[in-house]
Amino acid sequence: MTDFEAKLSKYADLAVQIGVNVQPGQILVVNAPILAADFVRMITAKAYAIGASLVKVNWSDASITRQQFEHAAPEVFTEPPTWYAGEMTELAEKGAAILNVIAEDPDALKGIDPVRISNYQKVRGAALTKYREMQMSDKVSWSIVAVPCQAWADKVFPNVPAEERVNKLWEAIFHTVRLDREDPVAAWQEHLDTLDQKANVLNAKKYKKLHYIAPGTDLSIELPEGHIWAQGDSINAKGHSFVANMPTEEVFTAPLKTGVNGTVRSTKPLSHGGNIIDGFSITFENGRIVSVSAEQGQEALEHLISMDEGAKYLGEVALVPHKSPISESNILYYNTLFDENASNHLAIGMAYAFCLEGGKDMTPDELIAHGLNNSVTHVDFMIGSAEMNIYGISADGTEEPVFLNGNWAF
Amino acid sequence: MLDFKQKLENYALLAVKIGVNIQPGQTLVVNADIVSAELVRLVVRKAYEAGAKLVKVNYSDEVVTRTRYDLAPSDSFLEPPQWQADELEDLAKKGAAFLSITSTNPDLLNGVESGRIADNQRISGQTLAPYRELLMGNHVSWSIVAFPSSSWAAKVFPEASPDQQIDLLWDAIFKATRADQADPIQAWSQHLDGLKARCTNLNDNKFRKLHYTAPGTDLTIELPEGHIWCQAGAVNGKGVPFLANIPTEEVFTAPLKSGVNGKVSSTKPLSYGGNLIDNFTLTFENGKVTDFTAEKGSETLASLIALDEGSAYLGEVALVPFHSPISESGILYYTTLFDENASCHLALGAAYAFTLQEGTTMTKEQLQEKGMNQSHTHVDFMMGSPEMSIDGIKDDGTTVPIFRDGDWT
Repeated sequence: MTDFEAKLSKYADLAVQIGVNVQPGQILVVNAPILAADFVRMITAKAYAIGASLVKVNWSDASITRQQFEHAAPEVFTEPPTWYAGEMTELAEKGAAILNVIAEDPDALKGIDPVRISNYQKVRGAALTKYREMQMSDKVSWSIVAVPCQAWADKVFPNVPAEERVNKLWEAIFHTVRLDREDPVAAWQEHLDTLDQKANVLNAKKYKKLHYIAPGTDLSIELPEGHIWAQGDSINAKGHSFVANMPTEEVFTAPLKTGVNGTVRSTKPLSHGGNIIDGFSITFENGRIVSVSAEQGQEALEHLISMDEGAKYLGEVALVPHKSPISESNILYYNTLFDENASNHLAIGMAYAFCLEGGKDMTPDELIAHGLNNSVTHVDFMIGSAEMNIYGISADGTEEPVFLNGNWAF
Repeated sequence: MLDFKQKLENYALLAVKIGVNIQPGQTLVVNADIVSAELVRLVVRKAYEAGAKLVKVNYSDEVVTRTRYDLAPSDSFLEPPQWQADELEDLAKKGAAFLSITSTNPDLLNGVESGRIADNQRISGQTLAPYRELLMGNHVSWSIVAFPSSSWAAKVFPEASPDQQIDLLWDAIFKATRADQADPIQAWSQHLDGLKARCTNLNDNKFRKLHYTAPGTDLTIELPEGHIWCQAGAVNGKGVPFLANIPTEEVFTAPLKSGVNGKVSSTKPLSYGGNLIDNFTLTFENGKVTDFTAEKGSETLASLIALDEGSAYLGEVALVPFHSPISESGILYYTTLFDENASCHLALGAAYAFTLQEGTTMTKEQLQEKGMNQSHTHVDFMMGSPEMSIDGIKDDGTTVPIFRDGDWT
């Protein structure tokens, strides 16, 4: 086994044991691009070794996806993926774990008619509603891990010789998921404990509002009564832990849907639906987005917030210090899985049910009644910077700093 | 002389235009192993260029498949692939075309507990039956082409270096599929005309029986009334022609289910369900396999024959001259798509409804009544050789030589 294969094998251990935390008798669904075949084969063998009853791999191929968006008939993008959604929902109901292996070219769909992309996302989102509700209320174990592809590595490391870029991105990924530690599984336990402490402090504070101040940003976000600050470590319906994102550096909760006012400015480009949206500002009144402007990707941003009514409201508020390991690497990944863990961020769209006391057991209507947003989409965007201050305002009106100059104030 | 890229383009074009013959607005489903991505992507492009509405690719990976057979719990092989079957049936009913790109290592499941393979074959056979019936009845267009995986190429060319193995198999595939010709579509049109002339001749003769003799083989096969000799060039439910196998050299029809008697010896190994069966004999009485022997893969052969009621009966009789281009290459491919086109062969399992007059409009019960075998499987095996003679026997008892020394008379 080469050094690289050994690392890849450890990465597969992390994905299987910490990420989805596969249990004996459980089905594991792996959604993966064909270029990740070596990694997926390791994951498959490791999951069976733990006792998985079936590892079902749904392969994708970026070249074929691109051809579909370019050349398929327009009606293809408004037809719901009935069978895929039906099968995924049934598998989730049966308690399957879902592992998404991503290797995304941030420009994968550049130049594609944005109507096709938004139609596709809309019908897909609607068809997968039930599945997503299970996912967002932690009923099932799920996780996202990334592997490089050439186009992504080209985007991240344009100044490195072409043949070295993929290796460089592997190294960066391995670093962010703590694979360069002697015992990565133990390193993850320790890391999750640290995040848990931050979440506990915030949960004890029970802030009524957060007030964000930074260049281009003056935003007030009310938090719903009973909100819970969560971190990357979750517990599914059967009591098994899982880590939905690898890496993860955030603690996060749900905003009060109607309690967001002011303007926020993005600090990193957002790769969404194969297009880049950059240098954008969003203004909110009573939670609803009333205007957007983007230096790049204005049309894509407008399509995003028009997906449904819930796409005009926020569903997540996440805190990440500017001095996080990912942020300190100073690499812009053009991929939310990484960039959101280098920066304070918000998400447009659906809120996580587990961010509310009792939320996991509430119906979608009950969650809405408690002020949690509902949508077919959930898209994080980055707003943190070294100049950002965040103040927490308690029910009695007292105000204290939560973040100063981009880092934790406590 | 075309370069590799041009041949690959030709091959993809053949799969799309001659194989499934994609029509504007039609959906194409491609089933392929991830190793064949290079060809799949070209096929996708050609299909969209031909006006396909959507190309849906279902990738699989033989390593993941083998890992499952080695490590998954036994009862997991009894789970029917219901969603997959329902989706394929739905797509077929909506008029999609289906292209399979085969690349499997003939020894993929070597050493796997045979019960697991049999369970999986039985359950998926039952679950996929409604979809397979739409294909076997030629209601929809379907085709099979091949892609050389390294494991398959290593089996075919064990003496060559690993780099050469794939190149050699590509050369053989390009030649057998005429993708190495400047105008492969024209070449196929000519070739199919030749096969059609053979069929016309056999259909005019309306043979009652065929009598095969060769070393280890003395077999009589009765043909049902109204049988039709076909070539792989077919026409789907909408009247659009397609070619179910590329390459194809055979003309074939259905035997009378209860009319097969005698003994037949195989002449090439049969790769079935990831295992090889070799040097085997089958003995038939009134159509049914009553005895068999196999030097290799006896257990696999036993489970094939026991798969269901119909898998112990024949469903296809195919004639291929020993001097076919594939046969003359002298290569043993260990895959039926090629080896069946180098040799006279028979198939255990379901008969094709279109090999009987008005068969495509009949129910399963009606087909059964006419002597057409029904089964969840259809497995060709090779029994032709340069020593084979075949006589056609007419209703009035006159005997006409069809094959002598392995070739058409």
